[in-house]
Amino acid sequence: MGLQILVREFGDVSILDLRGKSTIDDGESEMLDSHLRKLVDKGVRKLLLNLADLNRIDSSGISIIVGTCASLRRKSGELKLLCPRGRVLEVLTVFRLLEVIPSFDNETQALASFEPRGYFAAS
Amino acid sequence: MVVSSSSAVKQRVALVVPSGGAVDDLLTSILDSESWVIQRAVDNEHALALAATEPFDLIITGRKTLGQDDVELLRKIRSTRAHVRLIILTDKFTPGDVIAAMREGAFSYFSAPFDVSELTAMVHAAMDAPCWDDGIEVLSATPEWVRLAARCDMATAYRLVQFLHGVKDPSIPETDREAVITAFKEILLNAMEHGGHFDPRQYVEVSFVRMRRAVVCRVKDPGEGFSLEELRHAALSSPPGDPFSHLAVRESQGLRPGGFGLLLAKNLVDELIYSERGNDVLLVKYVGPNASQVA
Repeated sequence: MGLQILVREFGDVSILDLRGKSTIDDGESEMLDSHLRKLVDKGVRKLLLNLADLNRIDSSGISIIVGTCASLRRKSGELKLLCPRGRVLEVLTVFRLLEVIPSFDNETQALASFEPRGYFAAS
Repeated sequence: MVVSSSSAVKQRVALVVPSGGAVDDLLTSILDSESWVIQRAVDNEHALALAATEPFDLIITGRKTLGQDDVELLRKIRSTRAHVRLIILTDKFTPGDVIAAMREGAFSYFSAPFDVSELTAMVHAAMDAPCWDDGIEVLSATPEWVRLAARCDMATAYRLVQFLHGVKDPSIPETDREAVITAFKEILLNAMEHGGHFDPRQYVEVSFVRMRRAVVCRVKDPGEGFSLEELRHAALSSPPGDPFSHLAVRESQGLRPGGFGLLLAKNLVDELIYSERGNDVLLVKYVGPNASQVA
């Protein structure tokens, strides 16, 4: 499988570290979709996708990100992006997604940008 | 009627020509994980001799041999084992070798440097794929113009895209090659899904043309076509600044979130031209020193 997903939690924010590629080729995007759906079904409303080690994405991967973002917004949730680079950044730019989905280069700043109900509210 | 377990379960056997190092370890790991038996040949001559005596379920060449020698091995084996699955790995190749490999019915072709995760996925595909070897048919081929038919299924699309990755034409910058392949893949999948309904009895017709200052891909699907103006469910129709607006249309039509393929392809090549019916499309990418001025 060309995609590895590590899920971390920070307060009420779930961080997904994505490594490899999110394309339709070998079911990687399907796998990402499944992970995101499970998290949203469990009640997670704040998602941060860490794209630092994601080196390729196609329209299937974009569809998953956009679909999850739209779904979360309907539930008053948020999806944000962390460290898109290289080809992935180019593709996100093509779709002008960075104009509508907040993106950060720094994890601390990204976490701080979510509504302060979790760790930052407590500290 | 009683069928004994020994006759019901056939042990599958792969023949591997060593590549050395991490690639051998990777192949061993993949094949072991699926309980395949691995037989090793020291070189292509040995592989040919072994293939003459045993019908291997999969053959993987070593990367140290020339691509054209691997194609010759494939041709000889397929003269007696017509449906053999053979994946070519090679460090030394020409674009022509890739075309020859497709024509001779290779399962796939990896020219160095290649992505290990892609190789892993392709070996798994070869281990699982039923009825694979009529998926890609080379209809005509010169170094400048290749025309082929591709069956409308995901596995065939995946194989065809990997063949394209294998070409690695040194006269085309890598970023341009990647852009063309990504755009082609998006258009090919659209053609197979919307034109061919992923019906394996249907084929799309594909051409690759290498001009002096451009690369052109043509994809013709067997469907009725469409009008770009009618594509309200595609991201191409979303106004600038509101890339989600087409999603509402998709939702109202019961479609999954998506519709980004066309827009991605359009942005990766210099020209995306549809025929009047909409079932025939040209992708044009200008290459060479003055490419940006031409585009």
